[in-house]
Amino acid sequence: MKPGGYAGRILRADLNRRDFRVEPVPSEWVAEYIGGDGFAARILYDEVPAKADPLGEKNRLILATGPVTGTLWPMSGRTVFISKSPLTGIWGESHVGGFIGPELKYAGYDVLVIEGRAEKPVYVSICDQDLEIINASDLWGLKTDEVSAAIRSRHNDPDVQVAAIGPAGERCVRFASVIVNNARAAGRTGMGAVLGSKNVKAIAVRGHQGIAVNDHERFVELANDAHRRVRQNPQAQQMHKYGTWVLTAVKQTIGELPTYNHRTGVFSGWEKLSGDYIRPRYTIGDRACFGCSLGCKKVNYIREGPYAGTLEEGPEYEGLMAFGSLLGISDFPTALRANQICNRLGVDMISAGSCIAFATEAFQNGLIDSKMTGGIDLEWGNSEQALRLLDMIGNRTGFGDLLAEGSREASRRIGRGSEQFAIHVKGLEVSGQDGRTHRSIGLSHATGARGADHLRSLVTVDQLGYQEVAAKRWGCDKLPEIVDPYTEKYKAAAVVETENTYCIRDALIVCWYSVSWPPIFWMEDFAQMLPVLTGVSRFGERKNLIEIAERQVTLKRLFNAREGISRKDDTLPKRFTVDPMPEGPGKGQKVNLEPMLNDYYRLRGWDEITGLPTEETVRRLTLEWTHSHSASS
Amino acid sequence: MILCTGTLDEVDTLPSMLIVDQTKCTGCRICELACSAKKEGVFRPSLARLKVVRYDDLGVDIPNVCGPCEEAPCVEVCPVYAMRRDPISRMTFLDEDKCILCKSCAGACVNGVIRLDTSRMRILKCDHCGGDPECAKACPTGAIQYATAAQASVLSRHDKITGYLREIRRTAQTQESGGES
Repeated sequence: MKPGGYAGRILRADLNRRDFRVEPVPSEWVAEYIGGDGFAARILYDEVPAKADPLGEKNRLILATGPVTGTLWPMSGRTVFISKSPLTGIWGESHVGGFIGPELKYAGYDVLVIEGRAEKPVYVSICDQDLEIINASDLWGLKTDEVSAAIRSRHNDPDVQVAAIGPAGERCVRFASVIVNNARAAGRTGMGAVLGSKNVKAIAVRGHQGIAVNDHERFVELANDAHRRVRQNPQAQQMHKYGTWVLTAVKQTIGELPTYNHRTGVFSGWEKLSGDYIRPRYTIGDRACFGCSLGCKKVNYIREGPYAGTLEEGPEYEGLMAFGSLLGISDFPTALRANQICNRLGVDMISAGSCIAFATEAFQNGLIDSKMTGGIDLEWGNSEQALRLLDMIGNRTGFGDLLAEGSREASRRIGRGSEQFAIHVKGLEVSGQDGRTHRSIGLSHATGARGADHLRSLVTVDQLGYQEVAAKRWGCDKLPEIVDPYTEKYKAAAVVETENTYCIRDALIVCWYSVSWPPIFWMEDFAQMLPVLTGVSRFGERKNLIEIAERQVTLKRLFNAREGISRKDDTLPKRFTVDPMPEGPGKGQKVNLEPMLNDYYRLRGWDEITGLPTEETVRRLTLEWTHSHSASS
Repeated sequence: MILCTGTLDEVDTLPSMLIVDQTKCTGCRICELACSAKKEGVFRPSLARLKVVRYDDLGVDIPNVCGPCEEAPCVEVCPVYAMRRDPISRMTFLDEDKCILCKSCAGACVNGVIRLDTSRMRILKCDHCGGDPECAKACPTGAIQYATAAQASVLSRHDKITGYLREIRRTAQTQESGGES
C-alpha cells in the first residue's frame, strides 16, 4: 500500500533530450529517509559524480518536498532546492517557503529532478500530467517578478506557481538565488546559478490533484490541535507581529549582532533596525506562506526619503543584518530597498552583504584601491554605495563581477592577505550569528553541511537561556554549562540533538519557525503525527527518527568527503577563533573550536582525526551503497 | 413579588453568513485546506469551496467566499431550478439531482467560488457546512468569520476604532521621537 502523504512519483526533466520521465518513489526510501532533504541527498550522491563542475551539464538540480508538504499540518508550505553548490563546490541546499512545494505535490510529484543542459533559454512547465519544456527566449533578462507575471499571463492562470531566476542567475553569480512568489528566496549556496547554467529561466507548476493521508480524521484532529499550539505560543505571537526582526534587539543585548564585517557584536544604530521601530513606521500588511498560522512575512512601504515608494515583503533579520549592521548602516529603508533588488535580480542577501562588507574592510585596510573598484571609495555606513555595489554584483558589471564570485574566491584573486577579511566557512559567507558570544553556533558554522550555516543546527536554547527547556531536552546533569553561551562544554551534545531534529524538519518538510525559539514542536510531536500521516509505524518511535536524521547528516558528510572535505575544513574564520570580541557583553570572548569538534565527531560516530564517518557508522546507517560510487571520478 | 410584567421586545434572529475582512488575510490558504479536508476527505485546494486570490505584486490577499449576495445570480441563471435560495438564511443551495451541469452558475457567480469538478463532473458549491463552516473555524487571523450582518457591522466598527486609536498613538509617538513618519 502506498504510504499516506506522498504523491509517490519522482519527475525527471531531461533538458538534453527535452523530455520527461516519471518514476515511482522507491518504497525503501520512505523508511530510510522520509522525504525532502533525505530523498534529495540520496539522488544527488547517486547521480552527480565526484568533482563534477557545479555549473556543468552533469550537475542536477532537485526540487524536493516531503510527506507533510501540502497538508493541513502547520507551516507545510516549505520546499527545498538542492544541488552541488557553485559557491562552495560542496553540498548545496536552500529551503524556501511560499507555495510552489504544495503545488508540485498537487500536480502529483514529490520530487522534481532537472538534468542536463538546454541549448537555449527554456522554462519547465508542469501542470498535472501536462509536462512541457518551453522556449523562454523572451523571458531571458527579465527580473524575477516580471518572469512570474509573464508566465502567469501566458498560461492565463494566476495560480501557476513560479520559481524564477533573475539576471544574477543568468550570469551565474555564484550566490544567485531562486525566487518564488516575488519575495520568497531560496537564497543560499547559489541554486539560481545552477538553473542559469542549465539555461532554465523558471519552473512553473500548477496542480489539481489531492493528497490523501493514512488516517484522515485523526490527522485533521492532530493538525488542528497543532495550529492551536502555534497560535497560543508566545514566541509565535511575537513572530506574527514583528517577523524575525525580534532578533535584532535580542542579538544586541547578548552582543551577537554582526557589525562592521563581524568585527564586533554590538551596533550603536541597532534601534532603527529593530521590530519595535520598524513595524509602526513601515509595515502595512502581514502575509504567510502556505498553511501557516504564524504568518511572519511583513509587507512594507516607504513613504518618504530617497527610497520613497518602495513596496516589498521582508527583509528578514538576516537581511537587516547584511545590509544594516554588517555594513554599519542604520536605516530600514536601505535594507528594504536592498531586499527588493536582491529579490528582483535573484541574489542571496546574506552573501551579497557579506561580500560588500569584505570589500569595504579590505579597502579600508588599503588592500584594494579605487582604481580596482571603478572609482568607488568604499566606506562603512554608506547606503547609496551599498545599493550601487549590489546592483553591480547582480549584473556582474565592473567591480561587482569580482565580488559575484563570492568572498572566498574574490579574496583569493585579490591576495595580499585580504583572506583574513573574507568571513566564510567552506566558501559560504557567515550568517548573522557570532560564535564568540554564542559558542554552539560556532560549532554549527564549522560543521554545517553547506558551510557557515545557521539553519542546520542553530541551538537557540542556550543562547536565550531557557533553563527548563535545556533540562528537559538534555538532562539536568548538563546544567548550568549547557545554557552558558561562553563555554564549550556540552555544546556538541546540544548541536547534535538540534541538528537531528532539524533533519527531520527538513525531511517532512516543515518550517524552521516551528522547531525553534524554543520549539513549538519536538521530535516527539513528529513521532506522534508521522504514523497517522503515513501509516508507517516505525516513524512512531523517536529512536527511529533519530537514526533517519543521523543517516541524512552522514550522507551529506559523505557527499562532502567525496569532494575532499575533512576535519581540516571544519574551521572558523580567525575573526572568531583568534580575535577576541572587542566590546559589549561578551568582551574578550573567542571560540575554542577543537574540544567541541572532538565531541561532535564522537557523538556522530565519525573519526576524530579525519572527521569522516567511520566504516562502522556507515554500516549502521545502511549507507554501504555509497562505496560503489566513491571511486566513480 | 413580580418585578417585571411586560413581555420582551421581539428580536428578529438574523441569518449568519461568511464575512470577510481582507485586511486580516495573510494568504495562508488554511481555509482551502480545511474546506477540502472536510468536504473531500483529502487535501486538495483545487476542490475547495472558497478561494484565496493572492496578489504577490501588491502584497495583498483576498479570500473569496460564497455570499453574502444581495441578489443571487446563480439562482436566477439556473435553467432547471436546481439552485435555490433559503428565504430565511438567504443561503443558496444546489440540488445535485436536478443539476444538468450546464455550468451557468459557475459563470454567473460574482465571487468565482462555484466551480466545476472536471474529474467527477459535478458542481462544487459551498453550503456553509450546514451552519458551522470549517473555513471560519480554521482561519488563524479571523479574516473569515461566520456571523450575522448585525454582528459584522459591530465588529467592523470596533476594528475601525481600534485602528484609529493605534494610529493616534503612533503619530504621538513618532512626533515625540522627532517627527519621522
